Amino acid sequence: MVSPVRPILVCLLVAGLAVLSAGATLHAHPMEGTNAGFVQSVDGPALGPFLYLGAKHMVTGYDHLLFLVGVIFFLYRLKDIVLYVSLFTLGHSLTLLFGVLGDWSVNAYVIDAIIGLSVVYKGFENIDGFERVFNVKPNTKVAVLVFGLFHGLGLATKLQEFMVSENGLVANILSFNAGVEIGQFLALAVVLALLGVWRTRPSFLTHSFVTNTVLMVGGFLLAGIQVVGFVLFS
Amino acid sequence: MSDPPTLPSRRKVFIAVVVALLTATALLFGVILPAEYGVDPLGTGELLGLLALGQARPIVSEEGEYRVDQVELPLYPGEWVEYFYRLEEGGSMLFTWAATGPVSYNFHAAPDGAPAGYAESFDGQESEQGHGTYTAPFSGIHGWYWENVGAGETTITLTTAGFYTSAEEGRARANGYKDLTDIRGNLIPSLP
Repeated sequence: MVSPVRPILVCLLVAGLAVLSAGATLHAHPMEGTNAGFVQSVDGPALGPFLYLGAKHMVTGYDHLLFLVGVIFFLYRLKDIVLYVSLFTLGHSLTLLFGVLGDWSVNAYVIDAIIGLSVVYKGFENIDGFERVFNVKPNTKVAVLVFGLFHGLGLATKLQEFMVSENGLVANILSFNAGVEIGQFLALAVVLALLGVWRTRPSFLTHSFVTNTVLMVGGFLLAGIQVVGFVLFS
Repeated sequence: MSDPPTLPSRRKVFIAVVVALLTATALLFGVILPAEYGVDPLGTGELLGLLALGQARPIVSEEGEYRVDQVELPLYPGEWVEYFYRLEEGGSMLFTWAATGPVSYNFHAAPDGAPAGYAESFDGQESEQGHGTYTAPFSGIHGWYWENVGAGETTITLTTAGFYTSAEEGRARANGYKDLTDIRGNLIPSLP
């Protein structure tokens, strides 16, 4: 028997994490303090630092992490996980590279709001919302690729805010990108380990609906923060 | 793995979305906006004491004596000069300088107790002016090295205001400006 207290505890815990991560995203996300000062002063290739910053950005970037949690939530086979994560990587690498190189000017609040909505989308998809409400089954591979493109634009706007020098730009973007993949791999390893343990328990299917609802809460929060930021500061 | 047992009912999905949206909205307006943006539409920020988190602190009070200085530093071609300040850790200084001709400069600092020959350089390039604020990362001496890289005489006008305890000038006639050292005996790197 599952005691009625447990689901409530799980909800509270996940909701708490969602709030913390949403708050942390505001500050942990744009590069700040000494990191930003460093990046601004860079003139020329600085592979190590950009590799580190890319990895740090991913590990502390809760919007990307929540989306990935949603993506792999119901993926059981390694083959599928690799396929979907590769599509996400392809998407965000493309827009990161071309966004910075082409000096696309995209509003960071708008992009981050879309990224928040991508988390909502994934949670909604995971509770079979599209089948139930709209009677359609979206192509999940296309969706992860398209949202990957938006996540990459988000990465590009962060890097653009601070990259001043054209000198060594391509090398620095590529090492930032490589860092993003390393950070993504590390984060995925942790998430998969936790999910793997949880999946062996009957509580996984019982609480998967609630968990994905909480994922939507996190996504709505992330999007809301950015929308208000856009209204106040843009 | 087999498919999940059954699809949730339509009603259940609707409720989930509405609950998610309402929860997010409540958290956003009740907690996050007051704490992060200092916006408090519901008054909960004040109630929970979160409002202070979201408000930037435009004023930072500082210890020490407030001073304002202006100096003019004439330089012959190839000549260099140093001008440095004693600042305690966290002490800040507002500065502006301009030269009448091209100079190369280097802003560096040596912490108290550092071995002779040790200095940390924070900024250096060729320019005719510089403006900004400096906050000392450690207690010690902090200041500029300027070198006239032009063909004619130039004068640097430096104005500073801040919480430093002394301002001193160090200079020497350049001897072909090779192997220049600052007042602590540090070799000053030749700048591109």
